[in-house]
Amino acid sequence: MTQHRVTLSRAAIAAILAKDLRTELRTLQSLPGMALFAVTTFVIFRFGLDRTSLSGSLAAGVLWATLLFAALLGVNRLFVAEREQGGFDAIRLAPIDRSALFVAKAVALLAYLAALELVVVPVFALFFLDSPAALGPLIAVLLLADLGIAATGTLISSMAVHSRARDLLGPLVLLPLVVPLMIAATGASEPLLAVGGPGYHRFGTWLAVLGLYDLVFLLIGYAVFDFLLED
Amino acid sequence: MLLPLAAPALPLDEAGKYVAGAYIVFVVLLVVYVAIMAAKVQRIERELRDVAAIAEEKKDAQAAPGRGSETPLASRGSGGGGTDV
Amino acid sequence: MYSKGLRPLSIATVVALAAGLSLVFFYAPLDADQGFIQKIFYLHVPLAMTALVGFIVGGVFAIAHLRSGDRKWDAYSYVAIHISVIFGVAVLITGAIWAKASWGHWWVWNEPTLVSFLIVFLLYATYYPFRYAIEDRDRQARYASVFAVTAGAFVPLNFLAVRMAQSLVHPRVFATSNGGLPGSMMLTFLCCLAAMALLWLTLVKFELTAKSASGQVKRLRRALDAPVGASSSRIAPEVS
Repeated sequence: MTQHRVTLSRAAIAAILAKDLRTELRTLQSLPGMALFAVTTFVIFRFGLDRTSLSGSLAAGVLWATLLFAALLGVNRLFVAEREQGGFDAIRLAPIDRSALFVAKAVALLAYLAALELVVVPVFALFFLDSPAALGPLIAVLLLADLGIAATGTLISSMAVHSRARDLLGPLVLLPLVVPLMIAATGASEPLLAVGGPGYHRFGTWLAVLGLYDLVFLLIGYAVFDFLLED
Repeated sequence: MLLPLAAPALPLDEAGKYVAGAYIVFVVLLVVYVAIMAAKVQRIERELRDVAAIAEEKKDAQAAPGRGSETPLASRGSGGGGTDV
Repeated sequence: MYSKGLRPLSIATVVALAAGLSLVFFYAPLDADQGFIQKIFYLHVPLAMTALVGFIVGGVFAIAHLRSGDRKWDAYSYVAIHISVIFGVAVLITGAIWAKASWGHWWVWNEPTLVSFLIVFLLYATYYPFRYAIEDRDRQARYASVFAVTAGAFVPLNFLAVRMAQSLVHPRVFATSNGGLPGSMMLTFLCCLAAMALLWLTLVKFELTAKSASGQVKRLRRALDAPVGASSSRIAPEVS
């Protein structure tokens, strides 16, 4: 019986995920907006900082702040369809592990973030970097950080969508929550984006911190999601 | 483990002011909390008076159902005022 | 009966606070580097440690609430977090005073414990608008518990990340010159820590007692078919 449930869960996850990705591809309601937001933010930074090239901590800061705020736009929209079209009820009634919704949504958010970065990071390199040498190792950092944002973003968004002022509440609670993620991501990126070429000072340690964060919040999200969907 | 400090220790009288300030902040916060709780307790006392009056009214109404609500206002005279200490 | 044991607890708190303060000013030796300023340490650090443990306790109560569905755990969780936030305000203010006295600035970024405490505080500060924004009381309680659990797990992770971000060259403001506390200072510190922990417990019990009394009044009103009156707080869970 348990095995049957688990298999059903995997199928459920895949189904929900596929539906989400299909909808996004068809309606394109989140991704272009997020990308545009990020690129415009880069332009604002160019003028705000009065710089045409960035390196080291400045580059890491601009990149991660922008990615984070663009991600918040996507996080806000993550559960809106479920809320408006009764998706939550459907999950409650279905004979599956409710945490399947958490996994599906987190993977969807991860996919959105990856797609976002596929566009935005090269633009960042174009605007501000002298050489794209850092981009390769940066992928590892991006992936781990995205996982963390996906875990916490899905968790918070699933609650914020039931509140008033949901567009405010989500970012409000999420921002302090992702500070350690940002500390680790910028910590790893700063030497990568250094002037003389990518450095790896404490690269492994920062990745470990990111990994730990991801693990903790993925587990928590998976464990509590059942209680979130009650009634 | 030697740790360099940017500034030498302040002279005692200046330092005393900062230390006093910190402990005073602690005491003030504690007292503010007590004051807020005092307001809450006041409200509870007031509500209890009202509820007691209502209970008495009901008891009288039960005891003498024919006489209607003859309960004089006297029994609730000072109910709402309370003492503001 | 929440007030049971409140009197002995508060007496113990007063005794511990008095003992702690006496030790601080009459027994603990003067620090070689920081002089008299170091005395703030006996106030600031116990407050901080108590607040952090309080947050985690709030998370533990939240787990109990999620698992049992009994709303009293939500009330305990709320009060634990609430009192810890108040302690947090004291931590940040005393930390700022300490920074000003030591470094001449009201805030310093190179003290990792203070910075990570600020981040934790900022997160828990969102607990109130979060609760307020969810109107259904049942859902509010559940979501608040999820928040408390998530935030509780966040505390150690955050401290790890911030500490790692510190450059090893920067002098730590809170460490003493020999890297560890001498015996007399440790005794004073532990006494103050115990006092703050007792204070936290006393305030939590006190708050729960008041809430319970309020709840009993409501219960009385309902029993008498009397109007329940204006609902007091939209966010503070009721205790009965």
